[in-house]
Amino acid sequence: MSFLRFALRRLAEMAATLFGASFVIFGAMYLAPGNPASFLLAGRSASPEALRAINAQYHLDEPFAVQYRRWLGQVVHGDFGRSITYRTDVSRLLADRLPSTLLLISMALVLVLAAGLLLGWIGAVRGGAADSTILVTTTFAIGTPSFVAAVLLQGLFAVKLHWFPTGGTGEGLGQMLWHLTLPAVALALYLIGMLARVTRAAMLEVLGQEHVTVARSRGVAEHLVVRRHVFRNSLGTVLTTGGLIVSTLLVTTVLVESAFSVGGIGQLLELSTTTKDFPTVQAISLIMVALFMTVNLCVDLLHPLVDPRVALGPRKQAA
Amino acid sequence: MPRSLTRPAARTAVASRTAAALTALAAVSLAAACSGPPKGGPAPGSAAFQLSAGTPAAAGELDSFTWALYAEPPTLDYVSAFDYPQNTIVSNVCESLMRWTPQLTMAPGLAEKATNPDPNTWVYDLRAGVKFHDGGVMTADDVVFSLGRQADPEGGSAWNSDFANVEAITKTGPLQVTVKLKQPDAQFPQYMATAAGVVASKAGVEKAGKDYGTSGSLDCTGPFKLGTWNKGQSIELQRFDGYWGTRAKSAKAVFTFLTDPSARTNAMLSGEADGGYLIPTESYDRLSRSGAGTLYFGEGLSTVNVNVTSMKGALGDVRVRRALSMALDRRGFVKAGLAGAGTATNSLTTRAVWAAAPEDVRKAAFDALPSPEQDIEQAKALIKEAGATGKTVTIATSAIGQDVSLLATAVQAAGSRIGLDVRLKTIAPNAFTALFTDPQAREGLDMFPETYYDSITDPMDLLSNFQTGAFQNYAGYSDAAYDELATKARAEYDPARRMAAAAQLQKKAADEVLWIPVAEWPTAVFLNKRITGAPTTISYLYSPWAADVGAAAR
Repeated sequence: MSFLRFALRRLAEMAATLFGASFVIFGAMYLAPGNPASFLLAGRSASPEALRAINAQYHLDEPFAVQYRRWLGQVVHGDFGRSITYRTDVSRLLADRLPSTLLLISMALVLVLAAGLLLGWIGAVRGGAADSTILVTTTFAIGTPSFVAAVLLQGLFAVKLHWFPTGGTGEGLGQMLWHLTLPAVALALYLIGMLARVTRAAMLEVLGQEHVTVARSRGVAEHLVVRRHVFRNSLGTVLTTGGLIVSTLLVTTVLVESAFSVGGIGQLLELSTTTKDFPTVQAISLIMVALFMTVNLCVDLLHPLVDPRVALGPRKQAA
Repeated sequence: MPRSLTRPAARTAVASRTAAALTALAAVSLAAACSGPPKGGPAPGSAAFQLSAGTPAAAGELDSFTWALYAEPPTLDYVSAFDYPQNTIVSNVCESLMRWTPQLTMAPGLAEKATNPDPNTWVYDLRAGVKFHDGGVMTADDVVFSLGRQADPEGGSAWNSDFANVEAITKTGPLQVTVKLKQPDAQFPQYMATAAGVVASKAGVEKAGKDYGTSGSLDCTGPFKLGTWNKGQSIELQRFDGYWGTRAKSAKAVFTFLTDPSARTNAMLSGEADGGYLIPTESYDRLSRSGAGTLYFGEGLSTVNVNVTSMKGALGDVRVRRALSMALDRRGFVKAGLAGAGTATNSLTTRAVWAAAPEDVRKAAFDALPSPEQDIEQAKALIKEAGATGKTVTIATSAIGQDVSLLATAVQAAGSRIGLDVRLKTIAPNAFTALFTDPQAREGLDMFPETYYDSITDPMDLLSNFQTGAFQNYAGYSDAAYDELATKARAEYDPARRMAAAAQLQKKAADEVLWIPVAEWPTAVFLNKRITGAPTTISYLYSPWAADVGAAAR
């Protein structure tokens, strides 16, 4: 199977999954109790004609299938509809909030990759006291949920030491980076621990393999052995955790954004779910699913390039 | 119309967050509410807090101050201004025909006077020369237009039900508007002091079209105009130089959205926010001991209750309801659930909403009520007499806030002491608000904790709930005599007579234990050392309070 055919097939699969996900996402909100119109009225009594008018305005009075078809048709054209609680276009809401979330996730991702790989490498190569220290700290990091980390970081670095603000996003890139540092650390901590462990284990496994012993016996310098033979060979394992890392970041950002009052889409998702703001929740969920799938696709496409031993195609060996 | 106010996203619990993490779609929310202590100081035994009539007047002007809000308002359109975040801001930008004073009484606002030539007519004479933020001058047309948006059932206004008795709103002079009612309605003129009575510029609203309230100017008349709205982060208000009244003491007021309760408290402790209302109860102690500023308590209009949602089960017997109410440890709840800052009560209404009543009426209204003290022996006897020993009742609980979870536990404890099997049904925080609006969500429940808040200073706001078919009459209580008296009271303009009828209704609701009242909950406001002047009462929802905030004396 050629790489192109493989890529195209994965893309088609992704489109099909996204379609399925859209149905689940659209349907899920209808199963939960509560009606957006009643939230719009702040839980107050309303005359039947007032309720009818609101339901008609947001097409809530139409049968499920009709609503779903209308919504899907609009989404395909990039129109996510109008938010019920915010009374503005959902695309505008997202445009206002997506930058903070993307920046936060990128910062966390950089931290995870840098610290996770480095710690894993050191643990595997150095061994001894360094390794035990890394094992203990990563155990601690993995055991600390991000919202607990958020509270601890905030208490120490914002309230006690005043090094960082307690929350908010700030304006301009510099301000934003400063405001988002603590949230990014809170978001990254658990994943740093996880990636360090995965890297360490993968490298240790490769270290024990024959070709490493052979390379060493040929007199190849140790740092070259580690870099070329050990690290490169364990990258495949590390890469497959990449998808997991990004999806965890997407999910956890909801908690961390709330804890640090970062006005991103995670926080928006939280608030919109509470008020049953269907269009907003549907748009954010769909975007998150799409982001997650894109990352997995990238991992799948990169994997054969990093590790040529990986065969293309999920089912059969390439002919 | 009375209502409970549900409030998203203020307090969350760790458990709910984990759930949210697992489902990704789940969100953490919050319902709860605020304030409301008795007039004339706290009741005996609640030495933990003291009510302040106000905060010291500002000593000077400020360039800017920052105020913490627990959530971002979805829109600032006054027709949707029915929740704390939007009202806290809108009250400074948009003014109403009447206004609330810091003492929670009604005073003229954009209308110089309101007259009532006959029971079905209210005439509002407008202040002359009032300027809108975008440069226009207020006329009767703007008032007719603004109120018309509220009265239009298709407008999706949260205040629409308050216009149910309105027949017509017409201009009867360049600066005069006449409201014709279908029947006398004593609540309507009071609602003109809330966001229901806001006057916005007709031209401004029409120019903004469907974006009104979400971007651009609000084009109202208040001491502040809307500045930059940094979506997801903050809203800035700027002093309006053309204001007809007293000029604001601060050139800017910045509202930041801090959804997490501990982040909000931290921001106030670190000086990133100068102050805020709706302080999380769990932070009372930290803030008042911090030395960073002062935590004040003021009169509000909130009571914490147990709403009886079904009388089909064991609660159908009034003796069981009475026994449960008797066995409840209200003082214990105030101490644990409200951090001591509240007053145990057996009254459904706060003392403050009786402000317009003559002293003897008010006294009678409260003296007729059963004692809020716990009486286990008598409660036990009642349960035995009703043959309810061992019967099951279910109360909703949620990790939404201490007021909800601790109250549910208190009811359970009361039940177990008198031989009633009270079961807790845990509701996810994001589903809790659905209890108010969705009968399906209330299925299998006999009661749920509810903090109730009045929008006007009138006991009828809450007591109307027990009329046949009323929105929050979940248990389906129906009594012809109650309905008749309530209808009469709501049509009675004379405060003394209206309140006397309300006192009878309150007695009836208490005898029947339609809800179980638990405590009055005061408003809390924190001000750091830099600023002062904010009101302590819940008047901040409907009066331009931020204009009084200025520099504290050094």
